[in-house]
Amino acid sequence: MVEKLVKVVNRSGIHTRPAASIVKLASKFKSEIYLIRDKFAINGKSIIGVMTLAAEQGSEIKVRAEGPDEQEAVDEIVKLFESGFGEI
Amino acid sequence: MAPQEVIYGKTDYKLLKEQFVLKGIPSSAGIALGNAIVLQPESLISPSIKIPSEEISNELLKFEKAHTNLVHQFMQSLHKVRSLGSNVIAILETNLLILTDPILYDGIRNRIKDGFSVESAIVSEFDNQRKFFLNASDALLQERANEIDNIKRKLLASLKDQSIDYEKSQQSIVVAQALTTTDIVNFKEAGILAIITEVGGVTSHASILARSFDIPAVIGVHNATDVIKNGTELIVDGFAGIVVVKPKKDVRDVYLQKIEALEEHKRNLGALAKLPSETFDGKRISLLGNVNFLDDVRSGEINGADGYGLVRSENLVMELKGFPDEETQYKWYREICERAYPKPVTIRVFDLGSDKFVEGLPIKEFNPALGLRGIRFLLSRQDIFKAQLRALLRASVNKNLKIMLPMVTSLHEVEISRKILEKCKTELQQDSVLFDNRIALGVMIETPAAAIISDGLAKVADFFSIGTNDLTQYTLAADRNNELVSDIFDDFHPSVLRLIDFIIKTAHKNGVTVSICGELAGHAAATQLLIGMDVDELSVAPSLLLELKNRIRSLTYSEAKLIAEDILNSNDYFEVKTKLEKAIGRHSITELNEI
Repeated sequence: MVEKLVKVVNRSGIHTRPAASIVKLASKFKSEIYLIRDKFAINGKSIIGVMTLAAEQGSEIKVRAEGPDEQEAVDEIVKLFESGFGEI
Repeated sequence: MAPQEVIYGKTDYKLLKEQFVLKGIPSSAGIALGNAIVLQPESLISPSIKIPSEEISNELLKFEKAHTNLVHQFMQSLHKVRSLGSNVIAILETNLLILTDPILYDGIRNRIKDGFSVESAIVSEFDNQRKFFLNASDALLQERANEIDNIKRKLLASLKDQSIDYEKSQQSIVVAQALTTTDIVNFKEAGILAIITEVGGVTSHASILARSFDIPAVIGVHNATDVIKNGTELIVDGFAGIVVVKPKKDVRDVYLQKIEALEEHKRNLGALAKLPSETFDGKRISLLGNVNFLDDVRSGEINGADGYGLVRSENLVMELKGFPDEETQYKWYREICERAYPKPVTIRVFDLGSDKFVEGLPIKEFNPALGLRGIRFLLSRQDIFKAQLRALLRASVNKNLKIMLPMVTSLHEVEISRKILEKCKTELQQDSVLFDNRIALGVMIETPAAAIISDGLAKVADFFSIGTNDLTQYTLAADRNNELVSDIFDDFHPSVLRLIDFIIKTAHKNGVTVSICGELAGHAAATQLLIGMDVDELSVAPSLLLELKNRIRSLTYSEAKLIAEDILNSNDYFEVKTKLEKAIGRHSITELNEI
């Protein structure tokens, strides 16, 4: 299992479009992927889950992956968060 | 009548008095006249219908087939919009991702395996997920709940092999309970005239798509599929948000004239309205419309405004001849924001003083321009200020509203205003009222004091807007309404230009954007100069937008920079004038502005 804490940096937070980017990326990996906020874990491959996180700018999310490509998955997803979903 | 007058004229409610008119929310601008095609809504399905265990595998197969077909259909419409830009693609992709969401997919399959019918399983799983969105403390997320509902309906229809015959809708007006984005893509292809739905918000993806396809739409029309009969003639006014059922001849004629005028406008200038506002060498400048009344948003829309840079809220006070209560204000602000969505709207809090006299102001001041006006008045009447801020916050749910403070001369005024704003937020939060928690608070720079301390103001304000009329009056100590000094009052005085230049430079150093909303913004001779000074946004009367865009698109930023630098080095107005004339290649700048 690999975990890493990441901050939402783009101004509008995780709204529909960033949520879609996360799910599309997460679905490329074989590992199970979770996004955890306030002890509430959601499936990173579910757009409904990711959208209901309603993470605003500045909120902290733990990215967790379990499976054969867990390291790569966490690295890539963290990179996506840090890039501000291309919205900065 | 000129086409512009026909389109910009206010909605004539007197004319509609004896007509059957349905009121909804204007969600996509435009006007259409045609016959209705009514799509009957699905009847309710109970989420708990059981099936015998031997039918489970057959039920699972039925689900697989319907699901695969719908996924295929969604992918096809995604393919159709490939050329339409990332915004439209992202919307359709989200729909596909919801349909293929593993939680939903597995949930439905598991429920069928537990012995429920496929219809029941779909209804219960979709409704389960929808709850999370409905309970969200965010208006945009709540809107997604409707989207999940629409996809559910689509899946149920796919189960019955009930697909909409899109071709039949050519040249008609579609009336439906709700539509998915896929429906809209297909309807557009078939050539429908307009859309009427019972549910949905202006922030819904279906609305956004209708706007990008230029299909007039009125949404939130209660019982539309029940009240409107198939084949009835309708007028859809996507500007005012109304539907006229079986229009009489006089109403029909007025609207036919409007449609004709709109088409003429599209032929002449419409192309320009859709083009981006950027210089020949690619520098973008946002072009915004000033709003005095609701209908100004319509003319802004027709003329391709990127947003609305100055809503003069005091017009509401003057129209009502007194201070409107929170509820009245909320409705007005909300309507402006919804008509403009997703474009941003900057609303200036009441800019009242004794030159705009209203009940409740000090009777008479010897020198009103230097008196209790703008933010000074509001801070002296915090009851009025608070009601306005609460109304603005409530209208900000769709996150396209910004608040602007007029007549600021100190950081203190901004800090107190922000404190009051925060207090209003806390109150609303306690009452579970939704609003945009990150709402931007900006200031107007219209006094030399504000200009000179703009570095400090940039740290407490989220954006600047320069009001050139007052800035000129205060800098030159010349009353803008006094004819005896009208030759001294001049926006092109080097002192005013240098102040503007200083404000823009300071703002950019501090990461704050600057718009100009005074007369200078629309002055034909000033465009090149202001762009050379790196202004981010220009806000003008909607009727000036296209001319302004035309000028911007024909000049180059690199040349504008050189000219601005040269002009800022002038010492008096005559030198500025000579240089401007040379740069523009015309004889007189006054003459130019009259074109």
